[in-house]
Amino acid sequence: MKTDHTTRVYDSILDALPNESNPSPLVRLQRLSPSPTFPLWAKLEWLNPFGSVKDRAAAELIADLERQGKLGADQPNRGIVEPTSGNTGLSLAAIAAVKGYSMRAIVPQKVPDEKKALLRLAGAEVDVVTDALCPLPGTEDGSIGLARSYSRAQPDRYAMPNQYENPANVRAHERTTGPEIWKQTGGKVTHVFTSLGTAGTVTGLARFLKAQNPNIKIITVQPTEGHDVPGLRNLSQIGVSKLYDPALIDEILEIPYELAYQRAAELFRREGLRAGPSSGLIFEGARRVAEREQVGFGVMIFCDDVFKYMSTMVKHLPELATDEGGAS
Amino acid sequence: MSSTASQALVSVDWLKDNLKNPGLKIIEVDVDPKQYGAGHIPGAIGLDWAEDLQDPVRRDVPCKQQLESLLGSRGVSERDTIILYGDSSNWFAAYAFWVLKYYGHQDVHLLNGGRAKWLADDSLPFTNDVPTYAATTYRAQEPDESLRARVIEVLDVSRTLSAGGQRRFNLVDVRSPDEFSGKVIAPPGMNETAQRAGHIPGATSIPWGTAVNTDGTFKSPEELRSIYFEAKGLSPAADSVAYCRIGERSSHTWFVLKYLLGVKNVKNYDGSWTEYGNLIGVPIAKTV
Repeated sequence: MKTDHTTRVYDSILDALPNESNPSPLVRLQRLSPSPTFPLWAKLEWLNPFGSVKDRAAAELIADLERQGKLGADQPNRGIVEPTSGNTGLSLAAIAAVKGYSMRAIVPQKVPDEKKALLRLAGAEVDVVTDALCPLPGTEDGSIGLARSYSRAQPDRYAMPNQYENPANVRAHERTTGPEIWKQTGGKVTHVFTSLGTAGTVTGLARFLKAQNPNIKIITVQPTEGHDVPGLRNLSQIGVSKLYDPALIDEILEIPYELAYQRAAELFRREGLRAGPSSGLIFEGARRVAEREQVGFGVMIFCDDVFKYMSTMVKHLPELATDEGGAS
Repeated sequence: MSSTASQALVSVDWLKDNLKNPGLKIIEVDVDPKQYGAGHIPGAIGLDWAEDLQDPVRRDVPCKQQLESLLGSRGVSERDTIILYGDSSNWFAAYAFWVLKYYGHQDVHLLNGGRAKWLADDSLPFTNDVPTYAATTYRAQEPDESLRARVIEVLDVSRTLSAGGQRRFNLVDVRSPDEFSGKVIAPPGMNETAQRAGHIPGATSIPWGTAVNTDGTFKSPEELRSIYFEAKGLSPAADSVAYCRIGERSSHTWFVLKYLLGVKNVKNYDGSWTEYGNLIGVPIAKTV
């Protein structure tokens, strides 16, 4: 059988990667939208084949290395090395496994154990780097520096996609996420809510959508400083990414990071959406804007579900770990 | 050595041009020892700050014989020009610098910008080949105690400062603001800690990273003077002591004060907060 999106038959798992003809689902919130004239729609990126929004960047990053001849038949011993807080690594490792490349993931210590184990499960070698003991002025150290070291010292073994600098990361969202949202909403979208990590998602989808309709508002939601929401960056940490383009962003909302966990729980309990903490934070930002503006059509990028973050969820919502816990 | 390298810092450009100089030994010392294993400057020797640059039993720097045996086994001679570099803006490379100066090594320099600055330039060679050098006999000098503060002296300095003797001493706490204020005893996840939080009375808080730029290089002497002397109020002529938690971060500031700011008498208090904060009955200042 051949790949057919209408019957959801796939010749290879890679054919299930999202794009305009096979978009990730867009689901309307039924109960938690504050305004009936400002519907909020969640784009469920966890239903991508390797479980998060990062499938898009990972696929494009690997395709880009292949196009440049840095990966593939001409380089039989070369695999991938990448600094990652987990999801990019997982998507890269899975795609690499399907294609027969090796994968080394450089992971900061603070990444939840579930994710480190998942990376190993997907066949990646995992290097855990020590977190900074006190604030470091530089950005080249730590996981990015270690990944760069492997690719510089052993170029025959390692190619580094470099999600923080590679324009392929942006292109992924310009080619898939943006067009999907435009098509799925029939051009009705007025606001897109997303988070900041590498800034690849926001830059790519904003470029596409603003070219269709310059009035579309691109709103990023960031946790307050000192946060522990995995995968997200506060603007003070964004210097690490070269893909961040402030000209494309209409508003930046800073949300107390504790709300990420509370809202994630509400999304599951009241909407049946098993949203992870970063989605909880994005929802809180969208809710505030919908309440303020009353009329609109909002799309929220829900990057990942909650399963990989249970230890962090339990830390912030201790009632989840007690026998007496329940809906509150 | 050229005139630039005769100073305490050498630049990436200088090292690039002098990589193969006979009598030059490059030594990498990292906060995260994985970094050296992944790749390093060609010819660089890797030292582990915890295993190689500490006494294996008691809490102390290596003794003279231990250091001689370590450097001799790696092929380093006391006549070599040593270029030290490492991750985190040379944080632990500066500790190694202090240990080498303590044992009287004459010709030792830090690579300005450290590992990150070298790594950032794709045109510079980088390798994971571990070099082997024929063993030598390294002869260290007797320890130079003028570079090392002991707790008795620190207590004296603190008493003088607390009694209003601001111009006589500089006592610099280089830890993070939360450690200085007493909000935390140590950064999260650290094994080495103390019974009490706070700082030594009379100390001035200047976190070690204040001295470096985002590319890992040291700020210019003019900028450093403006920060340390004008903004923070240190006295250029006063005898100075730097401390942190276990004595490594403070080596970095010790280097800044002594070699980049030209303060004459600077000591590293390597006992630092893990010694002071465990003492019975000594005064502690807290701001939380």
